[in-house]
Amino acid sequence: MDWVGIHEQICQLLLPVRTPLPFKSLCKEREHQQAQLLQRQKHLIELTQAAARKKLCEGRHEEAVPAAMQCLRYSIEVHGLSTLPLILPYLLLAEASIGTGHLLQAEEYLSQAQWTVLKRSECSRSILHKLHRNLGLLYTAKGEFDNALQHLGNDIYYASEEFGTDSIVTSGGYFHMANVFFQQSKMDVADSLYTKVTDIWSTRLSRLVQSPSQSPSLPSASSASPDEALDEAQEAEAAQMLNAIFDIREQAQKQDPAALASASCALAMLCYLRKDLDRAQELGRKALSASQWGADPGFTESIVRFLQRIRAGENLPVPQRAPGSPREPQRAPESQGQLLSAESRQGPEQHNQGYSRAKIHN
Amino acid sequence: MSTLPAMPQHVGFLPSITSQTSNPSPAQQQLPNSRSWIHKKDKDIGPSHGLGEKPKQPELSKLEIAVYKNSHKHNICVNMLREGYHKSFSELFALIQKWNTSREAAGPGSAIWQEEPLEKQPDKLDQLQHFLTRAEAAQRAGRYEEMYTNQLSLANYFNNSDDKWLSHHFFESCLHTSKLVKDGGQKEAEAHSNMGKVYMEQGQLEKAAEHYEVFHHLTLGLAWKDKAGRTHNSWGCESLWRIYTLLADKMLENKKHEQAIKTLIKAFEMAKEVGDKKIEGEAAYCVGLAYHRCGDPETATTYLNMFMEISTALGDSNGLGKAFEAMAKALESQGKITESVKYLEKFIQVAKSSDQSRSLQDACMCLGVIYNNRGQYDKGCKYFEMASTIAMNLGDLQLLEKAQVYIGIGKAHQMTTFSSHIEATGHVNMERVLAWKNSRNDMFNDPSAVCSKLYPSS
Repeated sequence: MDWVGIHEQICQLLLPVRTPLPFKSLCKEREHQQAQLLQRQKHLIELTQAAARKKLCEGRHEEAVPAAMQCLRYSIEVHGLSTLPLILPYLLLAEASIGTGHLLQAEEYLSQAQWTVLKRSECSRSILHKLHRNLGLLYTAKGEFDNALQHLGNDIYYASEEFGTDSIVTSGGYFHMANVFFQQSKMDVADSLYTKVTDIWSTRLSRLVQSPSQSPSLPSASSASPDEALDEAQEAEAAQMLNAIFDIREQAQKQDPAALASASCALAMLCYLRKDLDRAQELGRKALSASQWGADPGFTESIVRFLQRIRAGENLPVPQRAPGSPREPQRAPESQGQLLSAESRQGPEQHNQGYSRAKIHN
Repeated sequence: MSTLPAMPQHVGFLPSITSQTSNPSPAQQQLPNSRSWIHKKDKDIGPSHGLGEKPKQPELSKLEIAVYKNSHKHNICVNMLREGYHKSFSELFALIQKWNTSREAAGPGSAIWQEEPLEKQPDKLDQLQHFLTRAEAAQRAGRYEEMYTNQLSLANYFNNSDDKWLSHHFFESCLHTSKLVKDGGQKEAEAHSNMGKVYMEQGQLEKAAEHYEVFHHLTLGLAWKDKAGRTHNSWGCESLWRIYTLLADKMLENKKHEQAIKTLIKAFEMAKEVGDKKIEGEAAYCVGLAYHRCGDPETATTYLNMFMEISTALGDSNGLGKAFEAMAKALESQGKITESVKYLEKFIQVAKSSDQSRSLQDACMCLGVIYNNRGQYDKGCKYFEMASTIAMNLGDLQLLEKAQVYIGIGKAHQMTTFSSHIEATGHVNMERVLAWKNSRNDMFNDPSAVCSKLYPSS
């Protein structure tokens, strides 16, 4: 586990850090040595943090633990105990623990993080919102819904102050809060929140779908700027949330066509961006049929245009690397996209068991 | 985990998260939003200890700690979110942001810079929380009428507290909600009327007119009444009349005469629908004046006649006076001087009886000028003298001076015989002129004043 987790990546880097340094007589040389060591340690911290985050987003909580532990260890060495940079590793460890079901451990880590935050008054809102989100998830896992709601409320408040009420970062908070209400069987509140999450992601994804990089021939009315493109962690989070919402809408006792249509459409757009065109088309058709029951002809039209775009995208020439499948992966991200989409299909089963597992976008 | 430090045990500030907190159900019913609630709890615990004991620490739940630590805005936002009212949260957040942005845009030194920020005014935040959450609950349950009522309460609250931008915002929300209420359009009509009022207050007459037109259209033929018992339709017509008159005034100022007349005629139609004769009369008067200003005195006289009839029927002497004056002017521009004079005299009578000094003074001056122009200088002078007495009573120096100048002009014109005598330059004429100079009596027409020596006039 450790090897797969992190040592595969950092083994080589650990060598110069762990071996005791040779004695240098000149002060300048000693200082240079120290500076080099510090730099290597910082590099290690970044690497382990990124690796841990990636594993968490992919749902591989157990593998994330060694990476997060290494990150914590080196952060303590570089920055010392009870300092702000330690909060992120603690949060990563807590998340991994919640994911693997070790709630007590998660509680310990979170209380440590909370203590550090309380001692320092200049904590950024970004860190505060992540802390509260993790606390919310912990209490949800423990079944203490009131506390969970309190912390998720704080999460949404801080995220809104930092990123705005309609940002994809805040949408995570809404999603987890909706899950809590769902478990409390307050369906109207949960529905309203799921709709909000779907809307936020639909807006962002439709801007990305229309951006020049995706469809250079089509005019982009309100396209996304290049820095709005989603990174892997955000994509994974979106996949998790939208799949869950889609399943809930599909399996709802009282079918709401408009809600199902928008959920399908959002998920279809995400699949399209991840180059999973088959699934995108299937979901697009579902969205179209659901939207025809609704009262918004403009929405139906936009789905039709989207389906046309998918078909146009499928007709693009693809270099044949291997015989057989018509849609071979062109480059690595696509294969990852397919892999991720396969994983996201497994998502519904995971989510049906409970909503305690969560991927936090860091 | 040997590197983790020992958890501090004695801190009352950081509650243990492993123990079950006390059930906050009373808190849920009445969420503590203010620190005074905490202090009250503190006092409730009170000095129940003996002399040597330390006072017991008040047991605070997490919620109470949060109330104490965080700002009022933070607490309200989190409370709204805890109960699932995320739309109320988004709206409140957006309003606070909007205020802050406009403050930044206005810059230091502007009026808004000195004002207290919205997020620091707890009463307003409380009101917003109360009504927004109820509106959202109603929306979720599909009870749009209740949602409308809550939004209207907020709009009226902020109207009374002079936060016009907030009340405008909520009136707009009322309009959107009213379209979802299925009551045959009554709420929608009300909402349009409110929006019209808002735009009128802001001076945006065109937008106000649009809203009132929709209101009028929706209330046509229906018997909805407002709280005072007045039909919505009549109120709509009156508001439209008022707006059209104001719009026309602006157009007249910008010399857009045709448009102004069209608008005033629309105003007149509206006024007729109201069913109030006084308003109808006023509208006719405005139209008449406009036609006169644009150079069409005939049509002006028609409308002014209408106004006159209405004023006579209502016994409105003010109105009647205005009518006579306007008629006289219109007739004068048409060249019908005798009739004009007739109306002016009527005007003077009415003005005398109703004690309207200024209009009376105006009327006298007009008459005086007319008589002067016609050569009836004595009558002209008589009226100018009346005018100057009134001006003296009014204490208006300008009017007085003007009247006096006209008296001088009139009197000068009266001295035509004097000038003819000067021109004649005969002895008799000179004698006459000298006699007049001595006695200042009008002896030119009096043959007995001629001196004994009769000289043949040349």
